Amino acid sequence: MTSVRPKLKPETPKAVTAWDTQTGQTVWMTPDGSWSLSAKDLGIFVGDAAEAKLSAARGQENKVTDPYFMEVTENGTICGRETLRENIRSNGPTVAYGKAGQTL
Amino acid sequence: MYRYDEFDATLVNERVSQFRGQVARRLAGSLLEDEFKPLRLQNGVYLQMHAYMLRVAIPYGQLGSTQLRRLAEISEKYDRGYGHFTTRQNIQFNWVELKDIPDILQDLAEVEMHAIQTSGNCIRNVTSDHFAGATADELMDPRPWCEIIRQWSTFHPEFAFLPRKFKIAVTAAEHDRAAIRVHDIGLHLKKRGETIGFEGHVGGGQGRTPVIATKVSEFVPESEILDYLEAVMRVYNRFGRRDNKYKARIKILVSETGAEEFSRLVEAEYAAQSPHEKIALPVTEIERITAYFSGPDLPARPSRSKAFDDARAADPGFDQWASVNLQPHKHAGYTSLTVSLKPIGGLAGDATTEQMMVIADLAETFGHDDIRVSHAQNIVLPHIALDDLHAIYQQLDQAGLATANESLITDMIVCPGLDYCNLANARSIPVGQDIQKVFADPAYQRDIGKLHINISGCINACGHHHVGHIGILGVDRKGQEFYQISLGGRADEKAAIGEIAGKALSQEEIPAAIKQIIETYRSHRLTKDERFIDTLERIGHTPFKEAIYAAD
Repeated sequence: MTSVRPKLKPETPKAVTAWDTQTGQTVWMTPDGSWSLSAKDLGIFVGDAAEAKLSAARGQENKVTDPYFMEVTENGTICGRETLRENIRSNGPTVAYGKAGQTL
Repeated sequence: MYRYDEFDATLVNERVSQFRGQVARRLAGSLLEDEFKPLRLQNGVYLQMHAYMLRVAIPYGQLGSTQLRRLAEISEKYDRGYGHFTTRQNIQFNWVELKDIPDILQDLAEVEMHAIQTSGNCIRNVTSDHFAGATADELMDPRPWCEIIRQWSTFHPEFAFLPRKFKIAVTAAEHDRAAIRVHDIGLHLKKRGETIGFEGHVGGGQGRTPVIATKVSEFVPESEILDYLEAVMRVYNRFGRRDNKYKARIKILVSETGAEEFSRLVEAEYAAQSPHEKIALPVTEIERITAYFSGPDLPARPSRSKAFDDARAADPGFDQWASVNLQPHKHAGYTSLTVSLKPIGGLAGDATTEQMMVIADLAETFGHDDIRVSHAQNIVLPHIALDDLHAIYQQLDQAGLATANESLITDMIVCPGLDYCNLANARSIPVGQDIQKVFADPAYQRDIGKLHINISGCINACGHHHVGHIGILGVDRKGQEFYQISLGGRADEKAAIGEIAGKALSQEEIPAAIKQIIETYRSHRLTKDERFIDTLERIGHTPFKEAIYAAD
């Protein structure tokens, strides 16, 4: 769904992220393979294990939509070329919106 | 305004019911995303950065109070208390849940609204002049023709899977406020003797290959316009490229074919239409649709209003606002007012639930129930008595809706950018906000005069940066946001694509660069009445480029 999906090397630490199919909220796969609404809970995967996690995510179409890899550090911090995009996905818009965005 | 007949109502309700079933199947897992995506897009549902987004059609930007109230209710019940008005005169809800969308569509259907053909490779919402039917400078009201084209194009089986999306705009004023020359088809109503017809511009567009449309027909009589459109669409459907998404718009076909040959193909297609295919729109049908747009019965009023003049003298804020946000009306004693959705430091085109309610109430009380959305992402109340303006202004002011900046430098078109949009490369909203802060002083804005800054967060150009007097395009440079400035674009009857001024700048550098451009203009303008775009066209781009990059 994103305009850019970076190709990550097998050894690069990565997380699996997607959208909750019912609500559209952004979700991250946790270490045990469940899903969290917070990127703080994301699991860090590498190599074949990462591919297996992504494959498992793709098998949960009624739960999550369009899962993909995002680059993280070994500590689970979002990094790489898509850092800004993924941080915005994780934290929400960088501007106040709705009532909070009004400048009365 | 147009009201649904039994066929419209049935059609929309059946579509809601159909989509409800499709959503249920998706949530149950029996439809996969790849299967569901084309179905949801046909119903205006996108999956954006943070959530599903629902784009609701506002045909040619016209709403009644009941409809705007319903949009406000939806924003409160299903979203986060606001909606975003778009450059296609539509509204988007940014935080809706898929499970709720069938109920939202049902709520919309109850007030004669829908999200059909707001996405996908079909004919999208027909757009028009937001002052249509009210302005003194139009030949006639273009909205009946927008409605006729809407009815012709809705669920047209031959044009449901075009090579790419297709956008049509109609105007009837010499001063083009509908940007018809940057549409796939732009129609300009004209008169020859007693015959009404259309000047046809084809192959305009923005995106990664911006093109000003070519005038391919001088005059198509009104009775033949649907057959003519049908011929254009058939040529496009047949010859438009489907092998490359980036070359699939009709502008590429017209460019590659050549305007002359393209016109010949259209004429040949038109001539080949068999009698049973001809729509040959009957006069009675034109009159039936036109009757919906007869406009309010406005009581006669004197051209000057003492109440208005007195209030301007007594209330400086009102005086400033009235000097900027009003458009001459065709009836004496009336005006069309623009409710700016561009407060300084706010989000362009956004309106909260409460604000939508306030505007709906004002339209009902004072505005003959007529509300328009402009492609510049503002709201217009087209029929307002001068006597009522001060009372309206005070209520708008209380609701944070009385920014006096219509068509001034802070009235920017700004796409949602990377804060919301999956396609974006860079953020647009904070850039617009930073520029607004530099030019926040109302007196400074009025001194600068009419000037359009348009900002897009990617080359798809939803923020119309190509046709901004000053355009700003967000680009990605190895994961960093940069912004390319272009100069000299315009979307009006002298439509032009802006030229890139030079290397891209960082977000922090943009406000100062814009300030340099403006000060260069102020120092070179012949009089205070010479607009920025006129000075730019008179003296050329060089002084402005030098000013932007002087520090290099």
